Amino acid sequence: MNAGIRWWLPYACFAIAALAVPLLLSGNRYFAFVAGMTLISVLWATGMNLLYGYTGLMPMVFAGIAGISAYLTVGLVAAGWSFWPAMLVGSVVAALVGTVLGLPSLRLRGFYFTLCSLVIQTVITLAFVYFVNLTNGDTGISQIAPPKLPGGEALGGLAYDVVLAVLAVIGVVVLAVLVDSSFGRRLIAIREDEGLAEALGIDVTRQKLAAFFISSLFAGVGGAFYAPYVGFISPRSFDVLVSLNIWLMVAFGGRGTIWGPVLGATLLAPVPFLLQDYYTIKDVVYGLLIIGVIVLLPAGLVGGLKHLRPRPAPAAAAKAEPAQ
Amino acid sequence: MSDATLILLLSTVTTGVMLGVIFSLVAVGVTIIYGSIWMPNAANGQFFLLAALFAWSASVSWGVHPALAALLVIGASVPLSYALEIALIRRFYDVPNRNISYFVLSLGITQILSGIFSITYGVWSDQFRIPPIVPGVTLLGPLPIANNRLVAMAAAALLLALLFALLRFHRYGRALRAVFQNRESAALRGVDVRAVYRMSFILGNAVVFAGGVLFACAYSFDLTMGWTMAVTAFAIMIIGGPGSVLGALVVGMVFGFTQALVSIFASPTIAAFSYLGAMLVILLIRPSGLFAR
Repeated sequence: MNAGIRWWLPYACFAIAALAVPLLLSGNRYFAFVAGMTLISVLWATGMNLLYGYTGLMPMVFAGIAGISAYLTVGLVAAGWSFWPAMLVGSVVAALVGTVLGLPSLRLRGFYFTLCSLVIQTVITLAFVYFVNLTNGDTGISQIAPPKLPGGEALGGLAYDVVLAVLAVIGVVVLAVLVDSSFGRRLIAIREDEGLAEALGIDVTRQKLAAFFISSLFAGVGGAFYAPYVGFISPRSFDVLVSLNIWLMVAFGGRGTIWGPVLGATLLAPVPFLLQDYYTIKDVVYGLLIIGVIVLLPAGLVGGLKHLRPRPAPAAAAKAEPAQ
Repeated sequence: MSDATLILLLSTVTTGVMLGVIFSLVAVGVTIIYGSIWMPNAANGQFFLLAALFAWSASVSWGVHPALAALLVIGASVPLSYALEIALIRRFYDVPNRNISYFVLSLGITQILSGIFSITYGVWSDQFRIPPIVPGVTLLGPLPIANNRLVAMAAAALLLALLFALLRFHRYGRALRAVFQNRESAALRGVDVRAVYRMSFILGNAVVFAGGVLFACAYSFDLTMGWTMAVTAFAIMIIGGPGSVLGALVVGMVFGFTQALVSIFASPTIAAFSYLGAMLVILLIRPSGLFAR
């Protein structure tokens, strides 16, 4: 098979699957909603993967950034804006905030950076609770109107699911293209050995901040579309546990692979919805999975599968990587 | 007027000391574990809450005397920590950069415990209060203060003093401090480093449990206390310097007084903002903390 097709085939299959699932489930609104939430999680996990999987940084502030975008978008729409420009502004502001919050990664390593980002996440959650006139505090904002299409029609139901599917596909393809580019290789060099990367002439500061910008843009777009899709946001929608759960999707599926986080999000995001009445057990299940990943599967499901297969020679491995 | 001022002053001081000794206890427990095995135990808040809830169950549901319940709970922490050490903690003793693995691991434990608490205790009640160890009230000048709180305060202070004596004079404490400073040379001098790791994990958790029990004896509490305590203990540890027991003690007392002042004159959210802000500043400017050697 021709190399170009081999590169594109998995993404085409994923696009077909992502679009087909909402169509197939459109008969049951609840399952279609679960599918939509899963697609948002795929987008989030893919964005987190750029930082955690490819740059080797582990921020715990992802949900907070998504929340900033969600609150900003909802606020602008309430102020009379149309959804689409509001969504763009919300996402870009979230991406800029995310870039600024990435600055500590230039000084702090490993655990200290993660702790720092966890503190910032806590501050953001507290701010969502505290600035009641902007965010309506702990009560949250409910009955968020769905976005309006240019024709004046409200985006809802199946059409909204399709938009989310398209976003998830774009996210995955953008990540794949980035990772395949020289930018992606520079990020991987930083992940493997920051000092060496710097000695080779890589501008570590700029690459890291670019990674934070792009990753936070994923968070922001996801957050902006999350708010009207669920119709309700509160500080709890974007707290530290949500950040931890997005991390878990990436780590469980397999960090540093394109399909690992997609798989992780697909397997884990529906869990709380399928448990329904036993919804609170979700925390226990996720917690056990976190421990399981750390102890048994440090490379995640996809990484673990790779180990089972006989490894190709190193030179061939570099070529074979994108096709997977 | 002057009487009212005096009451305000006295109540600030007593609340400050009370919270300060509790904060110090928990932070010392956390820092002992971090200093020896490099485990930033984010689950300390849930352990604290677990101890408080066990004490509540023992004293309210089973009718055990609260003082005995407190001892039972602290004793129960030893087998629990030992089991945890065998099952999870010791696997990572030789891993470089293990602090990040431990951190995520403890976040997982946090999520499991908080999930379990909200399914069980969260359904039963939303405020928990343990019957007093000693009934009655003492008048401290014009300020009435519950004997119960005085007993809890004295017990916490005594525990801190014992802990200091243990670390300074006992041979286990000396081995622990040797490992804090340099584990390779400690091993060369014949210290069994793995035994010290295990001991410090058990000791650190027992101290956190003791903090939880004593807090529960003095104040009523709810399930959100776990996260608050975890964040506070981390802030104290980072500001004081990870691994510095003296730092944990001093900063813990400062935090106790800050909390007492702020909760009288402003909202608890402001207190949380100020802790987290101080922690961020220290992390960015001097990550080794104020009391690092």
